[in-house]
Amino acid sequence: MDIEISSYIVLGALLFGIGAIGFLVRRNFLIQLMSVELMLNSVNLLLVGFNRAHASSHDGQVFTFVVIAIAAAEAALGLALAIAYYRFKNSAETDLGDLLRH
Amino acid sequence: MNDFFALLPLFSIAAFGLLLLVVEAFAKERLDWEILTGSIFGVALFAAIGALFAPVDASGVSESITRYLSVDRGAFLSDALIALGGLITALAAGPYFKEHGLERVEAYFLLLFSALGGMVFARAEDLVTLFIGLEMMSLGVYALVALRRTSARAVEGAVKYFLLGSFGGAILLFGSALLYGSAGTTSLVGIREALDASDVVESLFVLGTVMLLGGLAIKVAAAPFHTWAPDAYQGAMIPVTGFMSAVVKTAAFAALVRVLAVLYVGTSLMEPSTGLPLLLGGLALLSMLVGNLGALRQENIKRLLAYSGVAHAGYLLLGVAAIFANPEANAAAVYYYLFTYAAGSALVIASLISFGSRGREAVDVGDLAGLGRRHPWLAFPMAVGMFSMLGFPPTGGFFGKLLVFRGAAEAGGIFAFLALAAILLSVVSAFYYLRVVVSLYYREPEEGQLEAIPMGSDASLSLAIGLGTLLVILLGIYPAPLVELASLAARGLLG
Amino acid sequence: MSASFSLLFSFAAVLALASGLGTIAARRPLRAAMFLLVHLGSLALLYLTLSAQFLAAIQVLVYAGAILVLFVFVIMMIGPGYDRPTSFRALFPKTLSTVLILSLALSMAAILGRVDLPMSELPEGFGGVKAIGLALYRVATVPFELIAMVLTVAVLGVLGIARKKTAIELSREAAPQGGEE
Repeated sequence: MDIEISSYIVLGALLFGIGAIGFLVRRNFLIQLMSVELMLNSVNLLLVGFNRAHASSHDGQVFTFVVIAIAAAEAALGLALAIAYYRFKNSAETDLGDLLRH
Repeated sequence: MNDFFALLPLFSIAAFGLLLLVVEAFAKERLDWEILTGSIFGVALFAAIGALFAPVDASGVSESITRYLSVDRGAFLSDALIALGGLITALAAGPYFKEHGLERVEAYFLLLFSALGGMVFARAEDLVTLFIGLEMMSLGVYALVALRRTSARAVEGAVKYFLLGSFGGAILLFGSALLYGSAGTTSLVGIREALDASDVVESLFVLGTVMLLGGLAIKVAAAPFHTWAPDAYQGAMIPVTGFMSAVVKTAAFAALVRVLAVLYVGTSLMEPSTGLPLLLGGLALLSMLVGNLGALRQENIKRLLAYSGVAHAGYLLLGVAAIFANPEANAAAVYYYLFTYAAGSALVIASLISFGSRGREAVDVGDLAGLGRRHPWLAFPMAVGMFSMLGFPPTGGFFGKLLVFRGAAEAGGIFAFLALAAILLSVVSAFYYLRVVVSLYYREPEEGQLEAIPMGSDASLSLAIGLGTLLVILLGIYPAPLVELASLAARGLLG
Repeated sequence: MSASFSLLFSFAAVLALASGLGTIAARRPLRAAMFLLVHLGSLALLYLTLSAQFLAAIQVLVYAGAILVLFVFVIMMIGPGYDRPTSFRALFPKTLSTVLILSLALSMAAILGRVDLPMSELPEGFGGVKAIGLALYRVATVPFELIAMVLTVAVLGVLGIARKKTAIELSREAAPQGGEE
């Protein structure tokens, strides 16, 4: 059995779906953050996979590099927010926040 | 034009911003941060305007730049737009922070660098820079919203904004990956060339397009992806609210126009009845409805601005959708509208800042009662701003709406109907905009209600308000120069 | 493509799916983080099968080594914490969104599975440190520089959110009440 690029793409799409479900269903801020990481990682898999098909340049792998760097920045900011949020709520659950709902 | 001039607006913000960061580390006393930040934005604004009048020629710019960041009049116009929004908000932010004891030096740098991100976003000629610019801008704004970390409301708004923003970023990224896979390059121009040569994988391309635009729709707060906006706008400090509408929204629209112009205008995907215009038109109608009806029942002016921002996103999307019909004129109309929107919302925010004083912000419609009589000089700019947001002549907002709606009407068919709906809904919007004006001039504070006490006069706040008022009125009575510039920019963009 | 390669792919793919599901299903954030670790590792394996050796290394170093440690650090700091059991009222929208996303993802996967992209001939040194380095510094200089600005923004933002009181706030507190204006 030969592996084709399409297997990687399908895997990437499924992982993206898993991340999106986690993001929408879970109410724990930290786990939602991890779900976003899952989504970003699935995109990385797609990019690396597509680069294998278009191997004349490294566009996809460079993009992946960029995404990893930015994911690090985003995670750092998200975790700082998590700590700030925890100070008020003593919890990381995002649906406890109803101050802003009218 | 060489590399240096091609990126001068971006360079000036990055270089002076980083320099200021070093200066801050050694500063013993408070510097005039709002003046310093404002001047940096001013330099960037001048650089961008200067470049607009100079002969723009990308041939002398090295390829490693033009591959990633566009160098044309459209790029400089979006730079100018973002620098202008940044300038007014930075000037108004300083007095606000001082008055309410919220001074955080980080705020100014975050304003500078997320505006830089906006410029990169709006100039992106490549999927990589599109994502980098988006994240640079967004990360800065998430932090700005959360900066008032002693307020539960601010942190909560920031958490919601952050979650939906990063979700939107991930969706945009997924779309980018599919577009890359369809053509084998991340360069927008490269993808367009592959598309013209029918050398793309169709299913990947279509799916990628839908997800890319979906991600952008979350960023511009178009309905049904707007749910983060009211909370984030309300949770944020007033100047940050202004930054979100005057800079973040306009940058995202400038980026949307560029992506559409480079990738899709003139292809079969831009056919009016089958492709993208219909999708964008649907989003536009929904946003106009949700925004205008939602704004009707808001007491808090920040939330009102959030919903009105959704409505404006709808009007703008209508203009963007109509780009297929007459690309140059309609892209120019969208640019003009963006300028009036940035100036109008920055003016409203600066006025709102001037109404509050130590520890007490005046953010509810009722708080403004009687201000027109007691402080006519402060109330007038607010009224001007509201009339401009409403699109009432002779303010800039009127011409923005005129150009965009006319473009949509001329596109014919369903878009003419949408333009009619937009006009009707603008009439609805008069209810909530004029309610603010009525409160200013025809209401007195009710028994027992605290009167809003405006803060003492402050040079940089007066400058911000003056600049905003001047621009809004100038754009309304003498629109020709900017219309000219905008159509030059649109020509460069589509060139 | 040898048989061992396809075996490696199947192993890593199953592992990635299972650990991904584990991440979003775990009750405790710490356990989710451990699943995420496995997930990131299995993706690094997949990168290897796609001849992206440099990225596989980066994935382990940056993601597993830095980002995940940050996650674990914060989880330990704010305590483990459980999700409350889903209330009956919230059950319906949650099921709805799960079904919706799942059907979207599956139909997308069905479309994408039909995409016919052949593996192309690899140039010498594809995906190695040298090739990526050249691509980053020769071609993608502008994005590379811009990443530095993004990191600056993130550092400033984290500083703004997490920093204790500023010098100005402290001096204001030190001043006697009502002393100003």
